[in-house]
Amino acid sequence: MNNAIEIINLHKSFGDLNVLKGVSLSVKEGEVVSVIGPSGSGKSTLARCICRLEEINSGEIRLYGTRFDNKQHSNKELSSMVGMIFQQFNLFPHLSVLDNITLTPVKVRSFTKEKADKLAKDLLDRVGLSDKIHARPRQLSGGQMQRVAIARALAMEPQIMLFDEPTSALDPELVGEVLDVIAGLAKTGMTMMIITHEMLFAKEVSDRVLFMDDGRIIEDGTPSEVLTHPTQIRTQTFLKRMLAHFGEQLTKDTSGKDDQYGS
Amino acid sequence: MDLDFVTLIPYLHMFWAGVLITIRASILAVILGSILGVIVGAMRVLPFKTLRSVAAAYIYIIRGTPLLIQLFLIYFGLPSLGLNLPAFAAGIVGLSINSSGYVGEIVRGGIEAVPKGQWEASQVLGLSYIKSMKHIILPQAIRNMLPAFGNEFITLIKESSLLSTLAITELTMVGQQVRSVTYASFETFILVGLIYLFLTSCIGLGLGIVEKRWQVS
Ligand SMILES: Nc1ncnc2c1ncn2[C@@H]1O[C@H](COP(=O)(O)OP(=O)(O)OP(=O)(O)O)[C@@H](O)[C@H]1O
Ligand SMILES: [Mg+2]
Repeated sequence: MNNAIEIINLHKSFGDLNVLKGVSLSVKEGEVVSVIGPSGSGKSTLARCICRLEEINSGEIRLYGTRFDNKQHSNKELSSMVGMIFQQFNLFPHLSVLDNITLTPVKVRSFTKEKADKLAKDLLDRVGLSDKIHARPRQLSGGQMQRVAIARALAMEPQIMLFDEPTSALDPELVGEVLDVIAGLAKTGMTMMIITHEMLFAKEVSDRVLFMDDGRIIEDGTPSEVLTHPTQIRTQTFLKRMLAHFGEQLTKDTSGKDDQYGS
Repeated sequence: MDLDFVTLIPYLHMFWAGVLITIRASILAVILGSILGVIVGAMRVLPFKTLRSVAAAYIYIIRGTPLLIQLFLIYFGLPSLGLNLPAFAAGIVGLSINSSGYVGEIVRGGIEAVPKGQWEASQVLGLSYIKSMKHIILPQAIRNMLPAFGNEFITLIKESSLLSTLAITELTMVGQQVRSVTYASFETFILVGLIYLFLTSCIGLGLGIVEKRWQVS
């Protein structure tokens, strides 16, 4: 069977700046992969290359066996393959919550308005925002906006979901509600790649953790391998700095799921 | 100094006729200028380099030369190419072309002011360039453009006074005619000025209402 995501020797630069220096990666269907690493290491760029927001310089990106790293596929085809959640939500401010979710099912997937409304209602129910269906984005809290963004992405029923620091723009008290939704999604067997600085969350929710540094994936293993027993000096240094925030919990091998992620 | 506005009363029907021509010219020019301007503005943002450069050059020339010269070129210059436009038509064409340069910049600015994240979200959700533009970018851009667009309309009403140089009997021309028979220069042009102020205030007011309504919806 094909991997959900298969990346082979991916290189990406912005002008003279080499950002991705040969990234190779396979993600199996249903796998939840967290990506951690210092600022500027190329995490966002990697995700943006996968959803074709950046043109790649060389290498290959295959989604379910098909190359999506060129202009051969329409945005529509790509959207059925991969969804992306942004740090800044990027909701459409001129549309209601309902219309934010139904617009692309109607315009891209040719759903009838009734069918799209039904889908939107189900999704809003799933992210716990049924009562906000007619609200405007600016009337929502950051956590609510991000949950709407997740519902909107799911309305395209993509095979793979990418999350680029979905909670970094949120006030600390709103982080939990978004992480709960993402954790719930992980349980459904969705293939996911989550860029995050929430180490405890990464540890709880993911099957695998990648550590990126300077445009390369330098560590790749189970959460406990990467977070508790990292082999690379750079990973150890990074985690030590993170420990200042997250305390002991990260290094302990916790068994049994805990509902409290991070701060 | 005594101001005697009573002298002007017998000529009020002339002012009225002049106002109508000013309004008609401004409305025609704002419509044609906007259509042309939206096309030029769209060319400025479309992902085609040649189109972008052509539109940029057009805007550069229009904004860098006086309206009066543009009017003269069209009315006095074009006949030498065999193109004879009646004064009013030449005036409308000149005003419209001039306005389109400014509207083009407004359109470009309005579109570019929409955050990049809106394009990215649209693209990832599967919308084509055209559909993103139509459903996501333009609705937001038009809101950005509205104030500048209103200003452009106001500017147009004021600049339509230059049509008097083509002997079109719009408001300013009427003012000159009335002045030459009554010699009440000060009164005449105070009245003309007040009428322009009234017209531009109406636009300002109307625009305020539209903007407010748009914000609520
Ligand atoms: N569009 C761009 N143009 C030029 N340089 C860019 C662009 N996007 C990213 N970069 C640069 O590429 C490098 C990697 O950026 P990237 O956003 O992928 O890092 P990151 O790992 O996501 O960091 P962070 O944790 O801060 O989000 C940075 O040095 C950044 O400045
Ligand atoms: Mg980033």
